[in-house]
Amino acid sequence: MKKRIVLFIAFVAVIAAVTLNGCGASEKLTSKIGAQLWSENCLRCHNAPDPADYSDEQWEVIGVHMKLRANSLTDMEVSKVVEFMKSAN
Amino acid sequence: MKKLPLLLIASLLLYITAGYSQDSTLTERNMQKLSMGVPGKTKMMLTGIVWAGLTANLNTTDKLMPKTSFNDFGFSPMFLYKLSDKFFIESEIEIKNAGDKENAPAFDLEFAKMSYIINKYFTIGAGKMLSPFGAYGEKWEPNHIERFANTPLRPDDAFLPDDTHLFWGAVVGVDLRGVIPMRNSKLTWVVYVDNGATLHTEAGMGGVTQAENWNDQNHNKEFGGRIGFLPFAVPSLEIGFSGKTAKVGGLEDSVYQINSEYKDYKNIRSTAYAVDINYVKPILAIKSIIGIKGQYTAQMVDKAYYATPAGFMPKPENYAPSTANATGVDSSLYTFNNTMQSLFVQFSFRPAMMDVKVLKNIELLFRYNSLTPPKDAAWGPKNLMGQGGTINRIDIGLDYWISWRTALKFAYETTALPNGTDQNMFLVRFVSGF
Repeated sequence: MKKRIVLFIAFVAVIAAVTLNGCGASEKLTSKIGAQLWSENCLRCHNAPDPADYSDEQWEVIGVHMKLRANSLTDMEVSKVVEFMKSAN
Repeated sequence: MKKLPLLLIASLLLYITAGYSQDSTLTERNMQKLSMGVPGKTKMMLTGIVWAGLTANLNTTDKLMPKTSFNDFGFSPMFLYKLSDKFFIESEIEIKNAGDKENAPAFDLEFAKMSYIINKYFTIGAGKMLSPFGAYGEKWEPNHIERFANTPLRPDDAFLPDDTHLFWGAVVGVDLRGVIPMRNSKLTWVVYVDNGATLHTEAGMGGVTQAENWNDQNHNKEFGGRIGFLPFAVPSLEIGFSGKTAKVGGLEDSVYQINSEYKDYKNIRSTAYAVDINYVKPILAIKSIIGIKGQYTAQMVDKAYYATPAGFMPKPENYAPSTANATGVDSSLYTFNNTMQSLFVQFSFRPAMMDVKVLKNIELLFRYNSLTPPKDAAWGPKNLMGQGGTINRIDIGLDYWISWRTALKFAYETTALPNGTDQNMFLVRFVSGF
């Protein structure tokens, strides 16, 4: 029972923090370029991939796959990373 | 009169010639597109993982068991199709060593999922999908992403019945997911409904929940979800909270009698939650990337009585002798506190920004694992007094990364069982994503 209470409090704390922080991305987030997003985000689960390993078309497919699988990138961020990979391969 | 057949023939020739000319134009246009490399609307790619390895059981005394074996191999192609900007299909097949004496390969459809991107906030998916419960199953499990040559200590790893999947595997159902930017932070979320688990009630397995049901085994569905919070603008930290709940009683009206009262299993509920953390940070001062990953998972199943298997002595307070069940056959029943907990925390260190190539490709790893099955259940490892306890495992690893997706991995794992014995293994795995 105690664990359920702790979990509930943690859940409420996260929601409260998020609500207090307000909706919408800050300029700090929206101004990031593709290379920066690539270096910051890919590393969280796996090593940062080499742009040269896949074609432009493949990067477009991988972009959607990672958007769904990692579920932590916005549409705009995915587009920027894909454009960076296409420009650097 | 003679002019009419001539006119018809001329018309026919004109029609055929025009058709041929149109076909030629289409073919030429397609040839031009191909030569220019213009793709069709559907975009697809074949990717996946291949791995091979060796396992050494360092303290086996069984002469019928080999000490070392090249028994770790597999091929896992993944098919990705982008049918449009909105519609996406992904599927993975896994073919690996089943580990039995028949040398038969294990062949499995890992997942087959269709996703439709409704808008920038919502994506709906359906099919067989990796369980979004916790972070391990969906994000960290693939062999070229998992840093170690082995997996974290999992409930079914030779210590518990094979059905006790707790925090990984696949589910069949529907999910809805999205990402909400919140100033400098991000909130990621997923909710899902799936077939859910089923409760074993037979002697010896009573209380085990069987996950991965591709066909529903009862009249209830499981509901679950995960919320991930990335508090910083540089997304080095993510904390996730997951939960899932379902009634797990089977379709049969299994009834038992306790203290003159009839009870059944159909309303037995299983509830589980998980907390996961992921912190990965390049630190320029030490020219290295450090990583911390961990997940705590707990499962609670409602109290119920199960048939006492032969040779098992329950605690006196858990025992209900000679109780008649619905079939009129006398059998002794017992109950236990059906909770299970698992935890793993891993640390990684890679001097990736060093100038020396050999050093920058090396990654050092440490992982602590623990698993506490229900202590008074008939199943699960016991100590010398017949009581259950916690299994602890330490993993030490070293990876050499040949490329971002190819590595040679070494791991040493030592497992302490409740009966006081240790199991020590050495594992080598070569893995490559493609």
